[in-house]
Amino acid sequence: MSAQAAPTRRAGLAGHMNELSLLAGIFVLYAVFAATADGFMTFHNQINILRDAATIGIAAWAATLIIIAGEIDVSTGPMVAFVSVILAYFLQWGVPTLPAFALALLLGGALGGIAGALRAFCDVPSFVATLGLWSALRGIALYLTDALPVSIGRNPVVDALDRSFLGVPPSAILMLLLFAVFLFISRKTAFGRSVYAVGGNPQAAFLSGINVARVRVMVFVIGGVMAALSGILLLSRLGSGNATAASGLEFDVIAAVVVGGTALSGGRGSMVGTLLGVLVITLIGNGLILLGINPFIQQVVRGLIIVGAVLANIQAIKRARARQA
Amino acid sequence: MTDFTPDTRPVIARLTGCSKRYPGVIALSDADFELRAGEVRALLGKNGAGKSTMIRLLTGAETPDTGLVTIGDTPLRDAGSGRAAEAFGLGVRVVYQELSLVMDLSIAENLFLGRWPRQGGVIRHKVMYAEAQAALARLGVTLSPALPVSALSPAERQLVEIARVLIGSPKLVILDEPTSSLAEAEANKVLAAVRRIAAEGIAVIYVSHRMNEIRQIADSVTVMRDGRIIETVPASGADTREIVRLMLGAHMEEQARIQPGHPGAVVLEVQNIALAPKLADISFTLRAGEVLGIAGLLGSGRTELLQAIMGIARPQSGEIRVDGQPVTGASYRAMLRRGFGFTPESRKEAGIVPMLGVDENTVVTDFAAVSLRGRLLSRILSAPRIAAATRRVIDRLQIKTARTDTPIGTLSGGNQQKVVIGRWVHAGSRVLLLDEPTRGVDVEAKAQIYRIIRELAAENCAVIFVSSEVEELPLVCDRVLVLRDRRIAEEMTAPNIDQDRLLAACLTAA
Repeated sequence: MSAQAAPTRRAGLAGHMNELSLLAGIFVLYAVFAATADGFMTFHNQINILRDAATIGIAAWAATLIIIAGEIDVSTGPMVAFVSVILAYFLQWGVPTLPAFALALLLGGALGGIAGALRAFCDVPSFVATLGLWSALRGIALYLTDALPVSIGRNPVVDALDRSFLGVPPSAILMLLLFAVFLFISRKTAFGRSVYAVGGNPQAAFLSGINVARVRVMVFVIGGVMAALSGILLLSRLGSGNATAASGLEFDVIAAVVVGGTALSGGRGSMVGTLLGVLVITLIGNGLILLGINPFIQQVVRGLIIVGAVLANIQAIKRARARQA
Repeated sequence: MTDFTPDTRPVIARLTGCSKRYPGVIALSDADFELRAGEVRALLGKNGAGKSTMIRLLTGAETPDTGLVTIGDTPLRDAGSGRAAEAFGLGVRVVYQELSLVMDLSIAENLFLGRWPRQGGVIRHKVMYAEAQAALARLGVTLSPALPVSALSPAERQLVEIARVLIGSPKLVILDEPTSSLAEAEANKVLAAVRRIAAEGIAVIYVSHRMNEIRQIADSVTVMRDGRIIETVPASGADTREIVRLMLGAHMEEQARIQPGHPGAVVLEVQNIALAPKLADISFTLRAGEVLGIAGLLGSGRTELLQAIMGIARPQSGEIRVDGQPVTGASYRAMLRRGFGFTPESRKEAGIVPMLGVDENTVVTDFAAVSLRGRLLSRILSAPRIAAATRRVIDRLQIKTARTDTPIGTLSGGNQQKVVIGRWVHAGSRVLLLDEPTRGVDVEAKAQIYRIIRELAAENCAVIFVSSEVEELPLVCDRVLVLRDRRIAEEMTAPNIDQDRLLAACLTAA
């Protein structure tokens, strides 16, 4: 089968330029932070990195599909917070925990479905559709809670979700399991390949018989479900539903996908790239905090590193192609 | 030259002994051409006859290998990128087929695009509107210059396009099939504008194949063939059969002509289909094992007919039946489920997914056939089965590709086209609608595509083959319908499909 995601793969080593340069970047980040930041290399901190990666990663897997399909989703942060709030209310009302989780996932899927349907059937650009959700969901969550945490009291199932297993937090395990699932979907299923076809040339995909509208709705439904899952994990981590949480998460997610080499114009990208992108974004966040850099300056540094990483990546791929030609 | 009375008008454009070759082709060979002020000259010829090359020499887009291009009294000298500016400075203007207007800007803004009259960076709207009004008035157009182009009809947009080249002082205006996308009533507005331009003393080259129009506005007709200027005849007396003879030349009787076959059951019936403004009252049937050609000029509604059948465009009236069952109003995907397949005219925009491999571009029409067996696994693709299915299509259609997963964007046009057809072979389609499958394809690939189509027909596939090249229709088709003036103007059946008669039928009523 072609394409294990990036078509450039067939070009041998040069085809892996994207992944290789990201790996090199990760090594550099490790070396720099290990040498300069106290406590960076401790086991505890490495687990922290993994936990933080899960917050971005789970949403980023779905965002990769969305961006490959030629769309964009900016509603992630508010969606995560909104679901955590609604789930907290469900639990307060005495809905059994597992059914409440199922309802939360369903809610996420339905919200994503709204954005997808607006895109697929009403030709509303996905940026606008999800921007609307971004604003509305945050607003509803804040209105319902007055911006205060919604406590859920003691809940053994929810607590278990935040208890480490052999030292590793369940959210990290879940992230890695889902990575495998999304890798499989993107490479080996008719749906996954249809996502590439729709992003690469929607007209050709339609004329070949692909249900383009369904693919577009589905990627957003999957995005919603993954945001809801992140909401559940957020609830378990904080012990409450939080309308103000996950602020700006959507930008970390999009940055991770883009740093991972997925083209914003659609049709091109890979899950492995996104995995490395998530690591880059998480490492930067973690290292800068440990270095004790002023939080405002942290944002500046992060912005510079993201743009620099994508720029270096584009240059590396260009050089590799030129050498081939 | 067949000017009988001595013409005293000054010569505006002249080619003297111009030749131009590209690798492997002689695009223009020893061309002599002369055009006088106020003259309207029609330029006729098949694809590849050398019309575009001649136009490109006149506009300075190309430099001839030998010979001289003279505009007014000045020969073009620059051999590089300055040549086009030189020709522009001497007053050569072209209006191309594809409209180049910005839809959401006003008529006036489009007329002065990038050269808006301004003062300190601010556009002087009053001046711009006044000048735009004047430019439009030269064509007899009374539209308000403040109107957005998106609010105009296709003919009005074409007029704006023409008005744009009239700004400044053009000496020679070249119009490349300006009416091909217009219905007849609309086209008349453009013809009226052309008459006005000529009356101002501007020389006009008018590329078109609509004989009625040519007789109405052109003084004379220059026919080109195989890179040569064959003859220039007065337009008023031009006989269509004579023009066809000049365009096609003496040609060998094809050996490989199709013999009348024994087609099977009727698979498709089209009854009184109308799709404004391109089609009215179209009826025909298609049988299994039959290749039905659709001929017609650019803009004659060939593509629209296929789109109406496939459910991409919705006809205003009429009925479509498949295997005797009405399917009028069925969706595109429903037509695919009935065993139809469609390849679009523009391979790049609507045919291929360039970044994906040949394999995925092939199996995309039927993922189920290359999935794992078993109900639960049926959405999971099987790499070996994809490779095997792709290999079958590659072998059968003789597609040249290094590997099954080579990105299709790196293949030649002919091989891309074979993949686009091959995906319907993979899907097992029994009715294939091919819109210009040989456009932009080399000679060898063309022959292979003809062979593939005949093989599919032999296996009882029904094929509709749309082509603008009349030479190839007799080689492939059992029957040919000619579209003209929104209707089926003529029908020919093998072995009596004759390219001269086909072309004549495309151009004008017999």
